[in-house]
Amino acid sequence: MGVAAGIEALNVYGGAASLDVRRLCVHRGLDMPRFDNLLMREKTVALPFEDPVTFAVNAAKPLVDALSPDERGRIEMVVTCTESGIDFGKSLSTYIHHYLGLAGNCRLFEIKQACYSGTAGLQMAVNFILSGTSPGAKALVICTDLSRFALADAAAIQEWAYSEPSSGAGAVAMLVSDTPHVLRIDPGAYGNHGFEVMDTCRPGPDTEAGDADLSLMAYLDCCERAFKDYSRRVDGADFRDSFAYLSFHTPFGGMVKGAHRHLMRKLYKAKPDDIEADFARRLSPSLTFGQRVGNTAGGSVYLGLAGLLESVDLAAPCRVGLFSYGSGCCSEFFSGVVTPEGQSRLRTQGIGAQLDRRHALSLDEYEDLLKGAQVIRFGQKDAAIAPDTIPAAWAAYQGQGRLALEGMVGYHRQYRFV
Amino acid sequence: MDRDTIWAVIVGQIREVVPELADRPIAETESMAELGLDSIERSEIIMNTLEAIGLDLPMVQVHGPKNLGELADLLHAKRHA
Repeated sequence: MGVAAGIEALNVYGGAASLDVRRLCVHRGLDMPRFDNLLMREKTVALPFEDPVTFAVNAAKPLVDALSPDERGRIEMVVTCTESGIDFGKSLSTYIHHYLGLAGNCRLFEIKQACYSGTAGLQMAVNFILSGTSPGAKALVICTDLSRFALADAAAIQEWAYSEPSSGAGAVAMLVSDTPHVLRIDPGAYGNHGFEVMDTCRPGPDTEAGDADLSLMAYLDCCERAFKDYSRRVDGADFRDSFAYLSFHTPFGGMVKGAHRHLMRKLYKAKPDDIEADFARRLSPSLTFGQRVGNTAGGSVYLGLAGLLESVDLAAPCRVGLFSYGSGCCSEFFSGVVTPEGQSRLRTQGIGAQLDRRHALSLDEYEDLLKGAQVIRFGQKDAAIAPDTIPAAWAAYQGQGRLALEGMVGYHRQYRFV
Repeated sequence: MDRDTIWAVIVGQIREVVPELADRPIAETESMAELGLDSIERSEIIMNTLEAIGLDLPMVQVHGPKNLGELADLLHAKRHA
């Protein structure tokens, strides 16, 4: 085997405030008689002093801080994966690179393809490592996404209604290198499927539109065809037997369950009881964190990986199958190996405990946030942020060395560690 | 396979996925959303129907019908394409 490559360290940042999704659905008058089947519990809601940069830096900083100065100096690429960009030209990576204090000999750029962005970024970084052009180099891949679409006007709220309960916020930072403790990617083991479809989109900075049925159908088609492309490349690949665990892009848990059922029926004509048991054993651990932060877009498949490493008993190295889907659309099925040692490393990040510390928003607080009076808009030139719109959330945020957005000066975002 | 058979398969699949609808009459002018089915249930019914009538095609190709009658028409047309 040649050079190993994959995820050396991974951390999740799940924000400062959360909302109970069932209460939101009741509040919106959504009739969901079988709500439990959708496997949603809470979602993270971004506060005015948070933006894609603060989420990204808060996820990545513990990973960077744990490195020696020499190791930090080997981070030669920062890829930000997002559909929540803040500028058409300047990438999020430039801000993130600055606040992480990284060296100047570094590629900085941003990648977009809806929720597939994270996998596009990870594969680019992995292939940089595998290429051997800079032996010993590391890359930092950060998926950061948040949704605050109701800001525009009443029509935007209407457009967004189909996904408001599932839209979350969060960032996943992954240090990619030739010492892949957390996930060693199986080189060359991947399959893609993409085609043009208008299932969901972000046509403006504060709007999202979509068709839930079409999006689900495109996801199901991609899941089947990306796996078939994977098995075309990988001799003997078997969806049921090759992977001890699975993590899929998770708009909400029910969708992952539907895709798993679809594959098990298509590939094996499996019976409902067998499908249910297989889902519980191999996929449900990946929902551990997603059920608490909602759809984190580009990062959700890696949030799933973190959740399964947090929750399963791992006695020996085993293979994980990952499925990434981004509307529009592009998808990938790929795999890697996780180990008990990598699992202990991941668990030291205390991701669950951090989620427990989020401020639980009341519906009144949430509705106030949706109006967006305190939020910086895309393209705004100058602004100052009052961070204490929700005093309890701001109080809890401080004192942990997290980055907060303070305002804009001549389009330049101003941040401070608090 | 004639259209009436495909209609019967659709109705049967709806009742299998959501047993609460076993005794409720289902009209061709109704949509699955009007029957109270969520997006996951809707896709499952379509997936199961395709399998039952022996059609293997991308799900996105059966997107678009506004009600169950139109869905039956589309599946019938695809089945005989």
